[in-house]
Amino acid sequence: MEQLLDRPEIQSAVIPFIVGLAVAAGLRKITRGAWIWALFAAFLCSALLINGTTLMPLTGTRKIILLVLGACLVGGLGAFVLRTTNLQRQAATGLVIISVLWIFWTVMERREATAAAIFVAGAVALNLFTAWGLDLCRKHEARLHGAGFGLLLGTGLCAALGSSALLGQLGLALAAGCGGLFLAWVLLPGQTGGELIHGRPLAILPYLMPAVTIGLAAVIFARLPWYALAPLAAIPLATSLVPYQSESRFMNALVSSLPGLIITGATAFWVWQAGSSSASGY
Amino acid sequence: MKKSLILASIALLPLGTLQAADYTIDPGHTYASFAINHLGFSTMRGKFNEQKGTMKYDPASKVAEVSIEIDATSIDTGHQKRDEHLRSPDFLNVVENPTITFKSTGATWNGDKVATVTGNLTIMGVSKPVTLTVTSVNCGTHPFNKKQVCGFDAETSIKRSDFGVNYGIPNIGDTMDLQIEVEGVRG
Repeated sequence: MEQLLDRPEIQSAVIPFIVGLAVAAGLRKITRGAWIWALFAAFLCSALLINGTTLMPLTGTRKIILLVLGACLVGGLGAFVLRTTNLQRQAATGLVIISVLWIFWTVMERREATAAAIFVAGAVALNLFTAWGLDLCRKHEARLHGAGFGLLLGTGLCAALGSSALLGQLGLALAAGCGGLFLAWVLLPGQTGGELIHGRPLAILPYLMPAVTIGLAAVIFARLPWYALAPLAAIPLATSLVPYQSESRFMNALVSSLPGLIITGATAFWVWQAGSSSASGY
Repeated sequence: MKKSLILASIALLPLGTLQAADYTIDPGHTYASFAINHLGFSTMRGKFNEQKGTMKYDPASKVAEVSIEIDATSIDTGHQKRDEHLRSPDFLNVVENPTITFKSTGATWNGDKVATVTGNLTIMGVSKPVTLTVTSVNCGTHPFNKKQVCGFDAETSIKRSDFGVNYGIPNIGDTMDLQIEVEGVRG
């Protein structure tokens, strides 16, 4: 059993998918924010299997784990506290920028001021552009989850190809959790209860935080080319532009996932080609 | 009178250290390397290509001190793609932690030769006490440049998980054998 749980595909695909599906299905009658708790539970299980309970030394990767879990909590609970839409939107993007500074501050301190300024400007642009795209999707559940799934799958896959299996596993675990909760949404309609969390701007945080922080970490800590983040950040925007809307949840989910899958596939192939040109088959 | 006594005491206290010769580590003749089990099949070896530091060595006053700073980005296993992976957050996370350091805190002696050097090894920002077993130590005049040179070979084993480098355990071994061969040049 222990050997089975040590396998990356179990840690980052099977377990988070099952947990995401089960929690979303279990909570769907209680709250429309069930998907956030499903993502939280799925990622928590994966993070415990991948990283264990150790948080010291508090590396950038461990900071990302804490921040993603925190983003789910804020996304799930913050919507009850901040009722104003504008405040929620600003809080979501502001929290991600503060998080980026916390993760990368020690690295930026050692770099020249110009390089650090370019990084911060790039991180702000990436954050705002991704948040804008997700915000366009947030009122339509299929689009929000389709964009989130594509974004996390692309970020995880590209991070793994950019020489960090650990960051890749974290991104892919979130994508698997998202896949599970998305399937629950397709198969088990009839969410009735509670607050309309999914339509509030803070609800984009569980997708925005990991996409930005894991993507930037793969660039700074590993060797993902920075320009790979641009097409990935465009996934939510592309998803929001899909005009198709059906009565069928399955069709809506499928069509909303397509832009993300296409962009992810193309970007991952591009990154793989760029990386594989410099070395033989390691 | 009292003042003179205090000054004399201060002057005499670190006498051993003052008499010990200061050496600057010669990066061209210093090798930090490691060996680790790979998937249970074989032993994978690697080294670091850049290091600097200082040492003091004087058998007469039983002084053996060494301070080494290794550039973690210079890791070299003879395979570019694998080296990139070893630099990533999966292993050494060199962007966040660009140096590996060893600072000695004590030594034991076997006659006039140093036998072990104990000190703090810092990897990924985590410091742990480590004891290096010195397998060879020799000092003398360099035959070509006529400078005083001291060199030693030392080895130890660590568990990388103690330093937070957990990725791939147990498939890639937890126990790492470390070897370091150092030459220091005086003056």
